[in-house]
Amino acid sequence: MGKVPPSMRSATPLTSFKTPSSSSSSSQQNPCSNPPNRPHFSLFKKNQNKSSKPSSSRKSLTPSSQIPPPKQIFKSPSLSSAIKVFDTLISTSQLPLNIRHHNALLKSFSQISNIYDSFSFLQHMVKTYPSFTPDHITFNILLTQSCKSISNDQGEGEGDVNADLSVVRKAIDLMVTNGIQPDHVSFDLAIRSLCDIGREEHAVELMKEMSVKYCLPDTYTYNLLVRRLCKVRTLPTVYRFVDEMKTLGVKPDLVSYTILIDNVCKSKNLREATRLLGVLSEAGFKPDCFVYNTIMKGYCTLDRGSEVLGVYKQMKEEGVEPDLVTYNTLIFGLSKVGRVEEARKYLEVMADMGHFPDAVTYTSLMNGMCRKGDALGALALLRKMEENGCSPNSCTYNTLLHGLCKGKLLEKGIEFYEIMKSSETKLEVSSYATFVRALCREDKIAEAYEVFDYAVESKSLTDVAAYSTLESTLKWAKKVKEQKQACLVGIAAAGGPKQ
Amino acid sequence: MLPQLAKKSITENPKKLANLIDLVNLPLTLRDFVGQSQISRLGCFMRVWSYIKANNLQDPNNKNVVNCDKQLSKILLGKSQVELVELPTLVKLHFPKEPK
Repeated sequence: MGKVPPSMRSATPLTSFKTPSSSSSSSQQNPCSNPPNRPHFSLFKKNQNKSSKPSSSRKSLTPSSQIPPPKQIFKSPSLSSAIKVFDTLISTSQLPLNIRHHNALLKSFSQISNIYDSFSFLQHMVKTYPSFTPDHITFNILLTQSCKSISNDQGEGEGDVNADLSVVRKAIDLMVTNGIQPDHVSFDLAIRSLCDIGREEHAVELMKEMSVKYCLPDTYTYNLLVRRLCKVRTLPTVYRFVDEMKTLGVKPDLVSYTILIDNVCKSKNLREATRLLGVLSEAGFKPDCFVYNTIMKGYCTLDRGSEVLGVYKQMKEEGVEPDLVTYNTLIFGLSKVGRVEEARKYLEVMADMGHFPDAVTYTSLMNGMCRKGDALGALALLRKMEENGCSPNSCTYNTLLHGLCKGKLLEKGIEFYEIMKSSETKLEVSSYATFVRALCREDKIAEAYEVFDYAVESKSLTDVAAYSTLESTLKWAKKVKEQKQACLVGIAAAGGPKQ
Repeated sequence: MLPQLAKKSITENPKKLANLIDLVNLPLTLRDFVGQSQISRLGCFMRVWSYIKANNLQDPNNKNVVNCDKQLSKILLGKSQVELVELPTLVKLHFPKEPK
């Protein structure tokens, strides 16, 4: 269960602990039961090779650890055994260990053990090896682990936030008493770790506390947390946080505002987005390409695709250079509201500006054409797209299949489906449903079953989704058939003598 | 747009979903065919459909029709010929709604 994330962690270079988020908190839940992790060893070996003879350390390790040579250093989370391993290591290593080894050892141990034992282990290392002075990295390891260890404490409510953060505070205090001020790196590591395990409340709390006591977070850390909060908390919570940070001296920047605008647009809150735009210019920021793109995207989600043109014009007036995303959004927006002709014009405009239309651009256009019922035109566009050296993706195929079925071009649709099948393209929910429906309408029930099989086999849809669509469609088809028969019978009866 | 909405309502409706994937104790006739004492409606449909495919029971002239063999007709109301359209309905007959 917890095997993968630790190995991923160790695979990253020693000095950077900003590991990509492996948000599964499961890896943290019971580090004690982790099976032996090879990466711990490989990490260590790499460092050993540089300074001391690997054979010496390996020899010394063999009796105390497992039989096959490639193995981890610490196989049990218990402190005493770790200390023993450490002592043997020192006594047998011919060259002095440097700080990198200590840090690697500490990291390996803290990953499988609990945080308090890690503290003690550090103490032991300092005591038995006086030339080792813990540095920033050492304490950042402990800080990261202490943040992650919060998820280990089971069964706490929202109320005892302080109790939870105490271990983090302890790590910071230890850092400070050793004469090292936590800087923005420590800050970032701590916040990131807390966000990874879904402890946004604690992250907010810690950020406020650290800003007051030590240093201000940099914009990356701040924006990271804002983005996280936007995702998992309500808007007022985010605003409260932004306000509180303002009083502490951290002002939201253009990126923060972009995140906020994107967030309110996603929840279709146009009024708030407009207000934020006002705030943005009041704060003295000039909207950049990303802000405009976000606004355009917002209009698209609000089904007001026509407005994107206005935004685009405004952008031009302000002298902001549109990028590929701008054009893609523009074309998507216009296609969505059925202004395909105009959208198509921008295909040339963007080429003039040096942006080559990609699969997204073409797919948006095809989507627009299919909506208008011009599935054949969309098919022609596919040919043009391939001529231009742009290969269609699964979304393109699904859009076209959907369009062909909607446009009553079932024969073409079946042909197209065969192409999709041969390239193992997955079906999407909507195109699958439309296709099955179109097949049943033409009384091609066996073919519909075959599509169902493909959808299940290729894992395009879940069995349940695929089956329920098929079932409801068949039910509908059966009903239609019966009605038709009843109709025929009715006509025959009407023609014949009445009872 | 409509099929998508319809689909959503089924997979998101916990009752209908349960109706589809909950294991049910099978009547004796079905037990022989399936070889298990419990199966879900979805699983049962899959079994029947794969049985049809494995034994080539679809009519070669009209693929929409299944010529039942002895075993299959036993569980499909004793019919000798079944249309694929009604297959889900026929399977559903073995999974009656539970009285509240």
